[in-house]
Amino acid sequence: MTATLAAFGKGHEFPPISFELSEDWVAGYVAAVEDASIAAHSGVVPPMALATLAVRTLLDSAGLPAGAVHVGQELNFLRAAAVGESLAARATITSRGERAGWVLMGLELSIGDADGSPVMSGRATLTFPAEAAA
Amino acid sequence: MPETSATELAVGSALPPVVKQITQEKIGRYADASGDHNRLHIDPEFAATTQFEGTIAHGMLLLGYISEMMTAAFGSRWIERGRLKIRFRAPARPGDTITTAGSVTAVDGRRIACDIECKNQAGDVLVSGQAEVG
Repeated sequence: MTATLAAFGKGHEFPPISFELSEDWVAGYVAAVEDASIAAHSGVVPPMALATLAVRTLLDSAGLPAGAVHVGQELNFLRAAAVGESLAARATITSRGERAGWVLMGLELSIGDADGSPVMSGRATLTFPAEAAA
Repeated sequence: MPETSATELAVGSALPPVVKQITQEKIGRYADASGDHNRLHIDPEFAATTQFEGTIAHGMLLLGYISEMMTAAFGSRWIERGRLKIRFRAPARPGDTITTAGSVTAVDGRRIACDIECKNQAGDVLVSGQAEVG
């Protein structure tokens, strides 16, 4: 059984996960978010698709605790990503605190290309009941 | 698609909104694309027992709508050099009509800053924050 995020503390680095921005996956993402604007940029992946993959990296390594809520998100898009490109996503827990029975967790997310150059960086903030961490 | 020039936008200019209908089917499509099959999003019976009293859309789905608005307004400047910082204020639910909004708050050379948000049909703010293009 995969551990949830509740099992990890500040400083934990999740294993990097590599993925290909396949034509099928990108088409599925565009259909899911109904993004009509990206069609004008042939061969380019919607930038929010990268953020979606960064979050997926997390979920492939650790499940969400029961009652988890996505509170906030910061994203920096550093260059366009192309359909068919291979990228790697990393995630690290950078903060973890508890208040009034809820855990507040900050995670740094990053995506780099095959040369290790940054493509996207960001930070996600999640909260979940402290009892999920017990 | 032509990019928006800083000289074309003044502080207070509104970005063209994006309007989307949330359905359980669309939430399911996003779950498949993102790999986030949290029962809170896809299992109505389970979600009814939670604090949300029903399924809710993924927050990142709403960010996909904001990204569509920014791509339509700024083209590759958003895709290649966009920045976003938001908080999720309230959930979107099946049956909701989501409307994005953006308003230019600063123009400094090539840099354009905007306040952004998503509201539902009742006028509730679901997402709020800032976005920038370089």
